Amino acid sequence: MDFLVKFASAFMGVFQLGGEQFMGWVTGIIPTILMLLVMMNAVIALIGDERIEVIAKVCTSNPLLRYAVLPWLSAFMLGNPMALSMGKFMPEFYKPSYYAAASYHCHTNSGIFPHINPSEILIYLGIAQGVTALGLDATPLALRYMLVGFIANFISGWVTDFTTAFVEKQQGVRLSRELHTKA
Amino acid sequence: MSEYRAIRVEKGSGGFGGPLTIQGTEKKNKVMYITGGGVAPEILPKIVELTGLEPVNGFKTSAPEDELALVIIDCGGTLRCGLYPKKRIPTININPVGKAGPLAQFIKEDIYVSGVTNANISLADPAEAAAAADAAATTETAADAPAEAEEKKGGIDTSKKLSEQMAESGNGNMLAKIGLGAGKVVATFNQAARDAVQTAINTLLPFMAFVSMLIGIINGTGFGTFFSGILQPLLGSIPGLLVLGIICSIPGLSAILGPGAVISQILGGIMGAEIAAGRISPSLALVGLFALNCHAACDFIPVGLGLAEAETETVEVGVMSVMYSRFITSWVRVLLAVVFSIGMYAA
Repeated sequence: MDFLVKFASAFMGVFQLGGEQFMGWVTGIIPTILMLLVMMNAVIALIGDERIEVIAKVCTSNPLLRYAVLPWLSAFMLGNPMALSMGKFMPEFYKPSYYAAASYHCHTNSGIFPHINPSEILIYLGIAQGVTALGLDATPLALRYMLVGFIANFISGWVTDFTTAFVEKQQGVRLSRELHTKA
Repeated sequence: MSEYRAIRVEKGSGGFGGPLTIQGTEKKNKVMYITGGGVAPEILPKIVELTGLEPVNGFKTSAPEDELALVIIDCGGTLRCGLYPKKRIPTININPVGKAGPLAQFIKEDIYVSGVTNANISLADPAEAAAAADAAATTETAADAPAEAEEKKGGIDTSKKLSEQMAESGNGNMLAKIGLGAGKVVATFNQAARDAVQTAINTLLPFMAFVSMLIGIINGTGFGTFFSGILQPLLGSIPGLLVLGIICSIPGLSAILGPGAVISQILGGIMGAEIAAGRISPSLALVGLFALNCHAACDFIPVGLGLAEAETETVEVGVMSVMYSRFITSWVRVLLAVVFSIGMYAA
């Protein structure tokens, strides 16, 4: 009997611990995220998608704009996954590189702008919550995540130019470097 | 036409949506699968055999959307599961995932079915097959003549509120215009709030509950001490995180680890809990963020390139190229994070 009681209380204890963790996240994370999401959703709806398309066309010309500025802006404005669609303004050869950069931008900015990728936010929030639990401010973490991301994502995008050229040779195809305007 | 047969697909255990009746046509004659990093799903042979559709591996190549009769995915509940329903392409998810992810509002019973196994797939009975064939034919003609649908605007549209229709027709008086203008801003914020709450309910809360339970088990069973014994060397030191980042981004493995960023999110939750418990130093937080996510979006390459309207050969090259570049740059990213962690939360 004693064993059963111990077992039962241990069993319940597991779920109580889980519940406490959940409560911590719900009260600690959800309210702020929700307010940010409301604001960001509204700002984006008011600015509109069309304006970012205009910028996108300008940004295809050089690597820095292509793999750092444009993906950052697209991630901020369009979020995951629609930020990836801005690659359509690139020549075929650069699309994989844009994808490589933009998909990372949908993660590294999520510390400060959670609206970009709310369904995968727990990577950041999980770790940030641990930092907060120690009584530290998570803002430096979020800021560094974004800034390091800006550099690292650019590198990841640019390196993809070279891997694309490599795979092209491997597969014996050549992708267009020129942008052909579609009707 | 007769070579394509209609099948009936029902939801599997724990699944959502359906039953769907899938009928190929001369034009819509392909089934695309974007599963497990390019591994054909178990249900594919049966579907191909029954329907006569041509299978297309979405990881290797792609097909024009208007040729797709069906898409098979294995999404864990984030993007892909909503993407094709949004485009109104019938979608089978072999994972039992319901309305979830940022595109949850497009996941409806008439276009999406999940948790599907071989047992849920059968030939449709003739009556249903005929209906599906008709529907397939009408969607084709409807796509050809979108102008007709536009013309319906004239009368009172029952699908819209009167205020919205006034805004569209544009001949309201001054007062109505001001009212509508203010109303639009309020409505925009209101919709933004509605979307935000939906996101919280559909994606944030479920994931938090899931990971919380895992953490409860890990901490409550004494398993935690054992478990962090294993993870500590990986999550708790710079070389460990570097190794983790490189392993996660190995081409091929990276695509399997990707879906829904589930693994990254679990590891993030665990690492946070370990930091909170004082077992891992907070100065490793930034390095962790980069290491846990080196393989980000490797499962999503064909779809992402599809969104960028890439041509078929670009997708073929791009899948390999991005996986290689992820592998090549993973250690660079982690080391950059190490450098930029200097001075953060220094003990």
